[in-house]
Formats: sequence, structure tokens, C-alpha cells
Amino acid sequence: MSRRLTRRELVGLIGAGAVAGPLLARATSGPVVRRGRVGLGTLPPPPPGRALDRGAARAALERALVAATGEPSPRLAMAALFSPSDTVGIKLNCLARSLSPRVELVEALVGLLREYGVPAHRIIVFERSDRELRQARYTIRREGGDYQCFGVASDYDSEPSTSGEIGSCFARVVSTTCTALVGFGVVKDHDLAGISASLKNWYGVIHNPNKYHDNHCDPYVADVARHPFIKDKLRLTIADGVTALYHGGPAWRPDTTWPLGLVVASTDQVAVDAWAWRVIDDERRRHGLPTVEAAGRPPRFIATAARYGLGVGDPSAIKEVLA
Amino acid sequence: MSGKLSRRDLVTAACAGAAAALLPRTAGSTSPPQVGAVITGDELPAREASWYKKLPESRVECQLCPRACQVADAERGACGVRENRGGTYYTLVHGVACSVHLDPIEKKPFFHVLPGAQALSYATAGCNVECKFCQNWEISQFRPEQVRSQYLPPETLAEVAKRNGVPLLSATYSEPVVFWEYVRDTAIAGHRLGVRSTVVSNGYAQEQALKDVLPLLAAMKVDLKAFTERFYHDLVRGELKPVLKALEIIKASGTWFEIVVLLIPGQNDSEQEVRDLSRWVKANLGAEVPVHFTRFHPTYRLTNLAPTPIPVLERAWQVAKAEGLAFPYLGNVPGHPGESTACPGCGTRLIRRVGFQVLENALAGGKCPQCKRSIPGVWS
Repeated sequence: MSRRLTRRELVGLIGAGAVAGPLLARATSGPVVRRGRVGLGTLPPPPPGRALDRGAARAALERALVAATGEPSPRLAMAALFSPSDTVGIKLNCLARSLSPRVELVEALVGLLREYGVPAHRIIVFERSDRELRQARYTIRREGGDYQCFGVASDYDSEPSTSGEIGSCFARVVSTTCTALVGFGVVKDHDLAGISASLKNWYGVIHNPNKYHDNHCDPYVADVARHPFIKDKLRLTIADGVTALYHGGPAWRPDTTWPLGLVVASTDQVAVDAWAWRVIDDERRRHGLPTVEAAGRPPRFIATAARYGLGVGDPSAIKEVLA
Repeated sequence: MSGKLSRRDLVTAACAGAAAALLPRTAGSTSPPQVGAVITGDELPAREASWYKKLPESRVECQLCPRACQVADAERGACGVRENRGGTYYTLVHGVACSVHLDPIEKKPFFHVLPGAQALSYATAGCNVECKFCQNWEISQFRPEQVRSQYLPPETLAEVAKRNGVPLLSATYSEPVVFWEYVRDTAIAGHRLGVRSTVVSNGYAQEQALKDVLPLLAAMKVDLKAFTERFYHDLVRGELKPVLKALEIIKASGTWFEIVVLLIPGQNDSEQEVRDLSRWVKANLGAEVPVHFTRFHPTYRLTNLAPTPIPVLERAWQVAKAEGLAFPYLGNVPGHPGESTACPGCGTRLIRRVGFQVLENALAGGKCPQCKRSIPGVWS
């Protein structure tokens, strides 16, 4: 839920707005979270081999954002989440190459940020490596254009930081450079974690994710997500559900994808996973497959993250808002 | 901008420096990389792994270490250096050396292998466990694309050692089991040129993988990190039992081996644990296996503990001797008498060491000059 602003904050925000343009800006003291609320924007998959229509992608994303935030317009949704002075990092999940967040959707988000007043050099689209980004059709650029886009490569903090059971060096783009983060994943089955849409995406910002695959990644996924570098900077979670994967993940498998036709947005990163768990299990049942839990891959990290207070982890408690 | 280098920078610089000193630099790198080329994340050469089996649905099971990772397509094992690509498992570190140095063999430590000899020591990124006290975590706990490496194929390492009159190669620093194909092929290349190979390992390996490579080695050093499963679970993310089994396999192979036990205050340094460990070694591996009790210094994720007190190390040394081990040593205590080798028969000091330096070697043909007792090891 949005919290009430103090008079001082309101005066400060109006001052910032007068300089930067937007009518409202979000408070800088912490993320706004609408717990359990998942906004959905419909977006049918394009014909095979064709890219998404950019206008349709933008419209679907805007609908999802409005539904997720409860704000009356995309612009006010952005104002509720970001400040024009933010440096915004957008973490993609491109491991599955052909089943990565689509360029057209990510650039739609970049467009909204740019129109809101965030300058190009302070919008950073990133993944673990340049190679993964290229394979997902992104162009690597560290300057110029509407946003920066690169792999974090070996640019990690020099000392490990502990959070629960994990001890990891975080990518400096997360720990140091960015003031606001967006998780941008895809809706898919995951061989180890059970499912991957939101929380698991943050494994890509630590140097040693391979050490945390035991016990279906629990509690490690939740431990990464509750680190202050993530928890305190995360403003928005988006999942590309235009095409989703119900079995055989995390890699792309053409025979087990289905046209879900949705763009998913939420300020509750746990709710996105709880929602994705439900829709993936529903699709698995339709194909005569056991649920991910019955298949021996319970996504227990979702309940752990909920227990940590990061969001709502009960799939039955998720409020879907279809705009 | 500060000019101070981090430890990781130093490792990188040392790697680049060592390679530059030993090899002509080559420009650029394509696939396959040129010898000496700097390897970046996008250029890691993939080579099919030798120890794995294929599973349904493009999954694989690694057969290198006891973790036996079952890895889905596009994923990596716990070591971070092996990747499943479409149902075939690849090592990404064959020839991808992130650290290369000339070290005295005593640094490994081997105290019964060619005293005073140099070893061309090499490592790749990666490890199959995660010791919270790892001294080399800047390479062992990273994936290969996250550290600076150079392409130094097995033949090159062997040639460099031979050309420089270095009698030994040593796979060390990180965890050689995760680059086992590189170790194997380097040992074969070295053997052709008369350069022997050694391995410094945690012993966390599957039986067949061990048996395939042991005959190629002159010696292997195994970290026996503690003698309780609790320690292995809490501080290593591994298991004790497979390490004990590996030690028995190494013993049965006839390959020379030595054991290192890093004593960490309050974690594995009790008199009873040292006694239990010593008894097990004597009963299962024999009394003449050198066991090095070494001093812990706080690092990585275990920075809240003090260095091991010298009296604790000395107590372990005495307990091991009392339990009948013939060659217990102390490590990381430069100048201590526990660094030197004494004849277990007559007590004559045979090899005097300070730190990694050999100051005196009185061994005569692998025997004590006084009582003529044979001292086990690789002496020539």
C-alpha cells in the first residue's frame, strides 16, 4: 500500500516536480508495495518469427503498470515508483535466449522512464554477461542511445556480503550504481527452483549462484532478495508472460511453451512468483503433468520470502488485476 | 583513484605477469584461443567433459565429485565451470588458467617430494565446495568469466616447465577436481617431457575420476578439513565421508600423498578431534603419511575468529605423535621446529625448513644417514 506522505516530503516532492516536470514523484525513503496485487496486461504472441508490435507492447505494459499500482495513468504509476533523479537498473533474465524478456517490452519500459524524466545515461538494462544479452537480441552499449545495456561481467564488490545463508559479492551495478531496481524476468518452469519469474532472477547479481542450488534454492533465493541492495531498491517487478514455459526450464523448449499472452507487473516481487507458480501448475495439469511440487521441485523459496516479509507467497491470496 | 590493489587484483596481476614472463604475448583471440591469449567471458573455450552421463530431457549428471550435480540444459554445476549445452556437458576451463606461478614445492605443502624443488603451479576458476575460510576465494568461488584468465593449454604448461628446468607441475590454488581434464592432459603432456605432476585438492572426488588420473601423478595433497560431518556441513558445504573414501583410494593406488589439516579455533581443533583423526589416519592410511597441521588466518566469510594459537597447533602435533603418526608437521608457523623432518627411528633431524625454504637436507638416498631407516616420499 502507498503510505501517506509527510508535509515535508510533499513540499520536497513538489519542489522536485517543479524542476523535473512530473506532477508527482515517489518518496525516496523506501519502495511502495501493494502487497499481493499483480497487474496483468494482455498481449497475444506475435506470429512465429515476428517481433512484437511496439505499440501493442507499450499499451500492454502500461495496462499492467496501472493495474499493479492502482494509479490512474502510466505516468502517475511511474511517479509512484521512481524519481527522475534515480539511476534505474533493469535486471533481465536472458538465460533461455529465445525465452528472454522481449526487447520491445523492455524498451517500452525504458520509454516510460525516459518520458518521466529519467535520463538515458541513468537507465541501465543489464544481465550477467554481454553474451547472454546479445543472444536475446539486445545491443550492448555503454553510452549513447536511450539506455545503457551490458553484462556485469566481473564487476562485483571486492568483499562478500552476507544475507541469511548466502555470502556473495554483489554486482556493483546493484550495490553501488543504481538507486532503483526493476526485476524483469519471464514466466517459466525451473529444474531446480520449481519456477522462475521474479525472485530467482536476482541470482544473476551475485558472483556465486551455483553454490546455492541445494534444497531447491531455498532459502537462498529469498536470502538474496532480502539483501538491502535488492529489498531497499526494488520498485517494480515485471515478467514477460507473452510466451511462457510450463516444463523443462530454465532453458527454452519449443515443445513446452504456451501462449500465455500476458505482461505481468507488481510492486510485490513475491506475489509475481506465487502467481506464476499457479499458472504454471495449471498449464502442467492441462498437459497431464504433475505439479512442480509433485514433480519433486517445490518452490519453497516463495514461502520463505513471504515469511521474511518480502511479499505475499500464498497463490490463493494473490489479487489479479486485469486492465 | 587509490593505487592500492585488492587481493583479487593482485591475483590477476600475478597471473598476467607470470604468463608474460614465461610466454610470448599473442594478439587477440578467436576460437580456439591462441596460446597466451586473454580469455574473456564471451570466449571461454568449451570442451566436452570426460566424467558425466546423459539423462533424459537433455539433462546430465556430473560424475566428477560426490555432489553428482544433475544439471538441466543451459545450467551449470555447483562448481560453476561446467555447463550443460543441449544435453552435452562441457568444461569451460580446459586450458583457461587464471593463476600461474613458480612456487617452492614446500608451499603446497609437500614435505616429502623433491625438497627445495620448484613447481610450476596453475589453477582455473572454480571449486566444488565453499569453505567459509578459503584463502583463495577470489578465484575458487568465482566463475571463469568473472576472473581474468589466459589460454595456456596443457602442452604449453609442460613446455614452459621443461624449458625453465622446473621438475614439477602442480594443479593448486582453487580446486583441481573441477578442472580434472586439464589436470589429466597436463600430466600426460608433462610425462612426455619428463616433468612430473602433483595435485593439491580437497579430495572431494568420485572414485572413477580419481582412479583415472592418480596413475599420472607423482603426488597428491589432500585437505582433510576436519574430522566431523558437522564441520563439513556448516563450514565447507561438503561431506567428510567421501573425502575419507578418497584418501583410501589414493592410498590403495600407491601414489604418494600428504594430508593437511587447517586447525580453526573452536571449530576443529579439540584434542579429541585431533586424536580421532590421527587414529583414523594411522589405522586406514598408515603411520607414515605426513600430516600437516596448519595455522588458520581469518579470511573470506570467517573473519570473526582469531588466528590459531601456536600452543593449540603444538598440542595437535604432540597428540599426533603420541597416536603413532611418524611425520606430523606444523604449517604457517615459520621457524617452528615442527616444520622440519626428523627420523622417526633415531630422532636425527633430516630436513631443516624455515617457512618454504629448505636450509638443510641430510637425507641420503631417501634414508636416514644415522640409522639408515628408509623415509617414505618422492626423493629423486
